[in-house]
Amino acid sequence: MPSPGKDMSQAGPKPPLEAKNLTVSHEGSPPLLVGLNFTALPGEILGILGPSGCGKSSLLQHLVGLAVPREGQVFIFGEDIYAQGEQSLMRARHNFGVMYQTGALFGDLTLLDNVSVPLKEFTHLDPNCIKDIAALKLALVGLTGSEYLLPANVSGGMVKRAAIARALALEPSLLFLDEPSAGLDPITARDLDELIGTLARNLGLTFVMVTHELRSIMRIVDRAILLGKRMKGIADMGSPKYLAEKSTVPESIAFFQRNNVKEKKEK
Amino acid sequence: MEPVIPFKWEGPDAEGTVRLYGNLNAFSAPRPFLTKKQVKTARNLTFDLKELEHLDLNGAAFLLSQFDLLKQMGISSKVQNLSSPLAPIWELAQKSFPAPDSLVPQKGPGPIEQLGENIWHFFKDLFELTTFFGEVLVHFWGFLRRPWRARWASIFTVAEKSVVDAIPVTCLVAFLVGLILAFQSAMLMQVFGVDIFVADLVGIAMIRELGTLLTAIVLTGRSGSAFSSELASMKSNQEIDAFVTMGLSPARDLALPRILAMTLATPLLTILADLAGLLGGNIVLMSLGHPYMVFWEELSSHIDISDIATGLFKSFVFGFVVALIGCQRGLYAESGPSAVGEATTHGVVTNILVIAILDSLFAVLFYALSW
Repeated sequence: MPSPGKDMSQAGPKPPLEAKNLTVSHEGSPPLLVGLNFTALPGEILGILGPSGCGKSSLLQHLVGLAVPREGQVFIFGEDIYAQGEQSLMRARHNFGVMYQTGALFGDLTLLDNVSVPLKEFTHLDPNCIKDIAALKLALVGLTGSEYLLPANVSGGMVKRAAIARALALEPSLLFLDEPSAGLDPITARDLDELIGTLARNLGLTFVMVTHELRSIMRIVDRAILLGKRMKGIADMGSPKYLAEKSTVPESIAFFQRNNVKEKKEK
Repeated sequence: MEPVIPFKWEGPDAEGTVRLYGNLNAFSAPRPFLTKKQVKTARNLTFDLKELEHLDLNGAAFLLSQFDLLKQMGISSKVQNLSSPLAPIWELAQKSFPAPDSLVPQKGPGPIEQLGENIWHFFKDLFELTTFFGEVLVHFWGFLRRPWRARWASIFTVAEKSVVDAIPVTCLVAFLVGLILAFQSAMLMQVFGVDIFVADLVGIAMIRELGTLLTAIVLTGRSGSAFSSELASMKSNQEIDAFVTMGLSPARDLALPRILAMTLATPLLTILADLAGLLGGNIVLMSLGHPYMVFWEELSSHIDISDIATGLFKSFVFGFVVALIGCQRGLYAESGPSAVGEATTHGVVTNILVIAILDSLFAVLFYALSW
């Protein structure tokens, strides 16, 4: 296991995530994005932004190993996850966690059991210790007292927190978040943003976050990549402040200065 | 991936100091760690983390979990020489670590409670089914008064998908059952030289009972379950709610076309199943050396219109029941991730049960009426 923060910053040539010349496409249809090159640096919160339908979620599928890209490579801690098929994917999977848009908690398991699943499967810890670790992860995301509730009986914000706790179970240094604050009320969304910021600072985790929620982008994202449909690639890149205030790229102007309520509804 | 620095520990020594080395995380955490034998003399243990190169939250939680275990044995533990990069992780873990005995699973219901719940559910199901049956009958009356206003297009679509597409599997099953029935009985009847009566046995069994029953059971598994899952997923997508708030009636607009289609088309499928079963019987008889027509002549002299009528009447009822229960289970499904599966299972189970009960009732009824 790579250590969070400390080792990674010294490792230099091994960034948590690197995409090289990546083509994003659905099977049997023309590519959505071509020739993507970007890197996530250790400890940063990288935002992947873009309007609906530009290929954000498909890009995420390529990054987490759910869909083999037509062209290009994805490196996680310096290892090409598609190099040797399933073998390299299995190795890479312990190095990152994924939180899905709807939480994707297992409906028939309690929150505690949801977090315990990867620990039971991949470590040799004894059951009591696994219970303690899972409870600790839930406490970390502020869910103390809800350990034995089923996902159906907790609120949307709690489901997302539990999903983050589950993604953190094996303590990867890289976390992918798909639309973390989508569908949450502003207060819950802000709490979740704060949680992500705290985790990034305290544990030195790297977050790669697909989102189009302007408020959370401005609040926590360190650096953002804005995808554009027109150029089928990265339209703009930089800190959210720069993109929102200084950038002259038409996509950035449109994304940050237009009211994007319409797009949220589409989602 | 970084090379994993293995985790090691030494001790406890005479002063009760355990020295930890390397990288402690969920993967490197040892099992077993400190055995009873190793710590039996100690009252206090000190864990020296000076040489520990790396510690993550899982590793820290592992240590804290061990401290809890040691505490139960009456041994107090503490750490020392915590290096500055590890201190924040250790503090965070201590802060978030569950208090001892705070993790107590909620108790499930006891046996009496479960029994009560099951009985309650049984009567609730019965009540809902009756309510729904009444609702469908009201709409059915509306349909009978103005049949031209029914959604014939959707009735035909459902009939095609649920019944016409089921022809191959139903006929194959009926054919094979007819074949097996004839074969098994022919073996015995041949001994007495009455193998010609195989035709009557297969004929009466198929037309009065088996054709109808087989069709109903195939339709339950194939189409009734499809109704349940379809409507249950519509319910969980709030499509049913949308129907209601638009002023439409799910019973009239979703269930009735399905029920009508099944009621009208099931008898036709039953006729095909009967024929397939008879063909199976005929093939066995032909293999025993009887000409093709002998089977049908024998059959026509022993089968009368009441046999055919009772079979078809039952198939009307079964078609209605299969669709009714399938739709009811779907429309009354609960919400949640497992609701669709549960609705489908309950639908199929209820259907098979109700079909079996109805079939026995019909047998008694027709006997009493000497049909």
